[in-house]
Amino acid sequence: MGRRVVVLAVVLLQVGFVARAYWSDHKEFGFQMFPESSTWRADVVRVTADGRRIPVEVPWSGYRWEELVRDRGLSYPQFRHHADAGLDNQLAFLDAALDWVAGNTPRDRETRYLEARVTAWHNADRPQVRVLRSRVREGAG
Amino acid sequence: MNAAALGVQRRAGGALAAFDALLARPVSMRALQLLRVLAGPAVLLHLQPFLSASLDGRIYSDSFYEPYAAWYPELPEAVYIGLLWLAAVAAVAMTIGVFSRVATATAFGIVAYNLFLSTTHFHNNRAYLVIVLGLLAVAPLGRETGPGWPLWLLRFECSAVYFASAFSKLVDPDWFGGTVTWQRVVHAKADLDAWILPDWAVSLLTDRSFHTGAAKLIVLTELFIAIGLWWPRTRYAAVWVAVIFHLTIEASASVQVFSYLAVCVLVVWAVPSTRDRVLRLDAASARHRRLGAAVRALDWLARFRVEQGAPGSALEVVDRDGSKMRGGSAVAFALSRLPLTAWFALPALLLPAVRRGRRA
Repeated sequence: MGRRVVVLAVVLLQVGFVARAYWSDHKEFGFQMFPESSTWRADVVRVTADGRRIPVEVPWSGYRWEELVRDRGLSYPQFRHHADAGLDNQLAFLDAALDWVAGNTPRDRETRYLEARVTAWHNADRPQVRVLRSRVREGAG
Repeated sequence: MNAAALGVQRRAGGALAAFDALLARPVSMRALQLLRVLAGPAVLLHLQPFLSASLDGRIYSDSFYEPYAAWYPELPEAVYIGLLWLAAVAAVAMTIGVFSRVATATAFGIVAYNLFLSTTHFHNNRAYLVIVLGLLAVAPLGRETGPGWPLWLLRFECSAVYFASAFSKLVDPDWFGGTVTWQRVVHAKADLDAWILPDWAVSLLTDRSFHTGAAKLIVLTELFIAIGLWWPRTRYAAVWVAVIFHLTIEASASVQVFSYLAVCVLVVWAVPSTRDRVLRLDAASARHRRLGAAVRALDWLARFRVEQGAPGSALEVVDRDGSKMRGGSAVAFALSRLPLTAWFALPALLLPAVRRGRRA
């Protein structure tokens, strides 16, 4: 009885994960290998309280973007990259990275939020432009 | 309850009893024991970037990461790094067979903990590694035989990986139509030019119409592996194709431990019984003795009993169905059943001379 439950649970979970991968950004346990040839690039800027838009390639308050965001192909967003696990996955990571940087740069007292203007090429489709924003930082400026 | 309802209930009860019997059926643990030995290096390779970063004084939380859940416990840096090193020690212990059950459970626990720390840690190869380690951890690998369910589950997971990958490509018109592979090659043309490929090969690989067929071949290959592994008649072909498939992927893409792990997991498709084939040798023949020594050293799945034949007799293999092979056929067959030589020897079994050498 116990074995039966464990085996059926694992099988159902696996089937569920495979199905869920068709709508989930990160597709955990969905095993969709090399799903897309999509590429992307982004202009990521810090928007300060006085309205300036400063590219994150310029170090600020002792921070460097590529040191804050090392993983998932996000270190140099200004260059066009392959979206390894698909565009949705890549842009979900970029979106989360903007929030993480906004929330983990305490020496920065001027940035209100970070913004990424993303150009994305889904496979052979025409490029699409999307804007992602971090949460607004309290007390900036 | 009427007779029809009683009949349905009885049949359902019979099917459940048969299912339970299948899960409990005693099978050889050899394949899983071998997989545990081979999984140790996969764990080490997987841990390498984390350990390397820790030696530079960095861990995941020093840069962008994204927890799956706010409640998921995050450990102090020193404890986290200590756990990573403990997992590395456990991986070595898995392979050399020291406290192997505890070591496997430890490696599984730490690799799984690390995977679920952040969405950024997630990769398909790591998910597969966690599944493999989890099933190895629950299998009674200290015994010669054990209940079959961990092995059946591992077979299911192995097949599911190929099937999920193939199906996702099959239902995506861009993939099945060749757009995805063609674009990947075109985007990587600079890398392609840096290889030592002749111009005609580069021209072929970057040709759009080539990918219309190549993409379908890739999808059908994955489907064939996923389905072919389940049937004895197609299993060896599926394993053989899977090895080439993974070598091709390894040569053309960065997939961390996936290729190595996936090839290792193929051992779970060996029939889970041991010493049910006989290799009969003439001890006076140096050639026979050499083959006997090779089989004893490389028979990691314990397929063969090596016995002495009559003086002057031909080399003979008796398969588990009682059929016999002699001479070159026997050598080819024996080598095709050893994990390290199987891939090279399996095509020889298709040669007419070798096929003729098999007698009932």
